[in-house]
Amino acid sequence: MGSVLQLLFTGLGIGAVYALVALGFVLIFRATNVVNFAQGEFSMVAAYLMVVFAVDLGWPYWLSFLLSLGGMAVLGAIFNLGVYYPLRNRTFLPVIISTIGASIFLANTVLALYGPQPQVLPGWFDTPGIQLGQVYLDSQYLIIIAVTVLLVAFQYWFFEHTLLGKKLQATSQDKEMAALLGIPVATMIMITFVYSAVLGGIAGILVAPVLFVSIQMGSTIALKAFAATIIGGFGDVAGAIVGGLALGIIETFGAAYISVPFKDAFAFLVLILFLAFRPQGLFGERVAEKA
Amino acid sequence: MNLTRRSVTAGLVAGVAMPAVLRSALGQSAPIRIGMVLPVTGPAADSGKYALTGANIALDRVNKAGGVLSRQVELVTEDDQTTNPGAVLAFSKLAAQSDIVAFLGSIRSTQNHAMAPDILKTAKPVCFGGTDPALTKLGNPWLFRFRPNDSYSGRVIAQYGVETLGKKNWAVVHSTDAFGTGGAKALSASLDKAGAKIAIDQGYPNQSQDFTPVVLAIKSSGADVIGSYFTFDNDLAIFARQLRQLGVTIPWVGSASITVAGAVKLAGSALYGTYGVADYAVDASPESKEFAKLYGAVSNVPPDNYSSWTYDAIGVLCAAIAKAGDTDPDKVRAAILATQGYKGAEGEYNFDQFGDGLHGYNIVRNEKGLIVFDKHIEFTD
Repeated sequence: MGSVLQLLFTGLGIGAVYALVALGFVLIFRATNVVNFAQGEFSMVAAYLMVVFAVDLGWPYWLSFLLSLGGMAVLGAIFNLGVYYPLRNRTFLPVIISTIGASIFLANTVLALYGPQPQVLPGWFDTPGIQLGQVYLDSQYLIIIAVTVLLVAFQYWFFEHTLLGKKLQATSQDKEMAALLGIPVATMIMITFVYSAVLGGIAGILVAPVLFVSIQMGSTIALKAFAATIIGGFGDVAGAIVGGLALGIIETFGAAYISVPFKDAFAFLVLILFLAFRPQGLFGERVAEKA
Repeated sequence: MNLTRRSVTAGLVAGVAMPAVLRSALGQSAPIRIGMVLPVTGPAADSGKYALTGANIALDRVNKAGGVLSRQVELVTEDDQTTNPGAVLAFSKLAAQSDIVAFLGSIRSTQNHAMAPDILKTAKPVCFGGTDPALTKLGNPWLFRFRPNDSYSGRVIAQYGVETLGKKNWAVVHSTDAFGTGGAKALSASLDKAGAKIAIDQGYPNQSQDFTPVVLAIKSSGADVIGSYFTFDNDLAIFARQLRQLGVTIPWVGSASITVAGAVKLAGSALYGTYGVADYAVDASPESKEFAKLYGAVSNVPPDNYSSWTYDAIGVLCAAIAKAGDTDPDKVRAAILATQGYKGAEGEYNFDQFGDGLHGYNIVRNEKGLIVFDKHIEFTD
């Protein structure tokens, strides 16, 4: 029983990271109808910013965290202006290719600036974890799960109970109608990119003490988060959360009870099954039904 | 000026012949070029940096001493992106440059396997650091190994664990790539010979973010010692940390990756007290100490096998070219194979008929983050 609970806890922790990155995918997809393949690199850049502020400069952790997220907000805005905005009237393909190019650019820029050595980022707490009966609770995973819950609650409140959130929703549902209603669509999309970059950044900073800070950390997480997004239903916020958590649990239990070498395969097997039998995902609507 | 048929013909002949004449004349003083495939990007980019530093230290020594055949030696590098297709592409780009006389391949067995067919076609010596024993048994005469292969590491891990630590119930943890599976196979064979039992043989895919299932499996297997073959530093560090967090404190004897600077830094205290086989250990010999001194002058990271094998490879290669008196691939190949008693940073190179230069390993221990030399085990069979 101890092993099952241990696996469940770890699976939830890993899944929560996938869910946070998946949320960024979903928000941008809803606002722009394109997939941002640089979402994983947002996580990586934020983790490196944290290393610069908290480790290299030795600034307080909370200040470093805020500065890193501020940096991510700026990056999100630049990303919108440089990668999405010039191609906003084109089909989705050039935009997707543009985001792939941006992800390669970001990874290689960090590589050139910081070098290839993986870095260590300390966790939030000095205590690495607590032993609860037969289960060891890694303090960083506890924080990851707690922050994910808080962010989901914040997101629900923000989108459902604030005017700005409703404007963002209106923009994501129908840009032309939103513009006719006087909503500044370009600004709303800018805010979406900024928020997604910050979300990706939070995921990166949270997971960095567990997985270490490296150039490829973003792409590793993003691939799974992308699968989680499809499983949950592309474009659905609740789907991204459930998809991410489910994926984390499935791959952890699959590795423990079936095969460790095929751990990654379980995630993608589930993805293929969804694409074959329920392409709209867990929470998505059929496109035909929308029409 | 009148253009006659004769003057035009003479001009054309001169135009065609001049590059060859110039090339021949300049060839005597042009640098000897050595190609190097290394990771500049991808998950192992840090190891590429160390490898290049080691090679450059050796080159610097050679060139300061007057070069080889009165010519300076220079490196031409290509990024393998830490992937097999990247390695093949990088090698192809280098192989297309006809003035490159020899190459430094990868420290990763899987990449050397990927490049092997092209190496055979290129027919020039390739020095590499991958430790899969099969690499020098492929029937490819151009491959030369500058690290002890895993048949030795497996024997040393098994011998140390069984005889010195007295442990007979093993958990073997390894990457599922060519290096990891080759190493695990060699270790299992050695443990079998030593009369030890394998409680669990657990492979994992590279770049795993979580090792909880592996650690729990080790815990429930009842193993009293771990033998490991990890390919990447970050995988090893995540595993080490989770191992300690989940309360597994049994002894751990790992392949060389447990001793490298990157893994030691990332894992921190989780690796304290572990043992490793290391082809490079600072205190193993006067030559290894000298390399540490040279490396320390240009790097703030301690030297490890990523840099020591390239340092030795350049040293042996340049000595072989000098001995051959020529850059002809067949002559250089024969000179490398004839290398005996060359004292390098990793040990004494005595090449066998297959192209393996080293035949033993050091055992080291992680003493609170410092890699401390214990003993060297050399094999003659």
